[in-house]
Amino acid sequence: MQEATFLILTALADGSQHGYGIITEVTQISGGRVRLRAGTLYTALDRLRSDELIRVDREEIVDGRLRRYYRLTPGGERRLAAEAARLHANATAAMRRLSPAGGLVT
Amino acid sequence: MNETAGLERGYRRVLACYPKAFRQENEQEILGVLLASAEEGQRRVGLAESAALIRGALRMRLRPASRPPRTVHAAVRLMCLGAVVEVAAMVTMVVTAASVKAALGKEPGLTVAQWHAALGLLTFKEVSAAVAVGLWLLLAWAISQGRDAARFAFSAFFALTTLSMLIALARHGAAYAPADTIAGAALWLIALITMVLIFTRPSNTYYREGARPPVARAAG
Repeated sequence: MQEATFLILTALADGSQHGYGIITEVTQISGGRVRLRAGTLYTALDRLRSDELIRVDREEIVDGRLRRYYRLTPGGERRLAAEAARLHANATAAMRRLSPAGGLVT
Repeated sequence: MNETAGLERGYRRVLACYPKAFRQENEQEILGVLLASAEEGQRRVGLAESAALIRGALRMRLRPASRPPRTVHAAVRLMCLGAVVEVAAMVTMVVTAASVKAALGKEPGLTVAQWHAALGLLTFKEVSAAVAVGLWLLLAWAISQGRDAARFAFSAFFALTTLSMLIALARHGAAYAPADTIAGAALWLIALITMVLIFTRPSNTYYREGARPPVARAAG
């Protein structure tokens, strides 16, 4: 899973978000490191929808413009949890090997 | 207000790269996000935003209906690499043309007719390299879409590449134009690996089933 995809799913993990909301959430989650572009976001959203990892929660009209809210599907939650567990295991292994005593680095 | 209208028009033009069905469903929403992300008083479309939009459009158009096996995926990537190497080869040919002519000029036994034939071949190779760049990309697209005919078109392309390399070798091209020959060999190698990849068993199964036309995704 690409980092952008992972961060988009993470942004949707605790509730539905609209496009611009996802961008600001992703910036926040990544500590300002990842700034999603609209083109990147909507290509990813389109793929995630066709893979049925996310779905449209509701639609609103704001300032005469359509605004869609997206949310994770149960399948999306499982994928994100599996990916998070995998990254966590890798990170833990890396930290353990990096520490001189071989113990956990906190 | 006028500024936003101009910016919106600009982004609309970039969004025209996307497939129509996608645009109908998402254009308003994407424009909203683009305008919300714009700087205060921004009049022109952002370069980074436009690049991301074009990349997204390319990715969407290249995405096949049913997921291709890893071999096809790898073949498509290799073919894009082929296009890049072909561009590099073309630039090399143009840049080194003078030194190739100089090497030919030093050849004592060369008749005027042979000299013209060699120059003609050089020009022909430059033009065909430009055509080949287009072919690499076109075939990469067709192969990624699961079109079986594209595999056979690529086989013909591979045969031509092989032939042109053999001709270059037979004419001792390596002595006069070493850079061109190396680039030609690299391209031939890329084409060979692509051939192997698109005719392996997983690829065969994928093409035999035939790729369905892209499914229109239902809204919501």
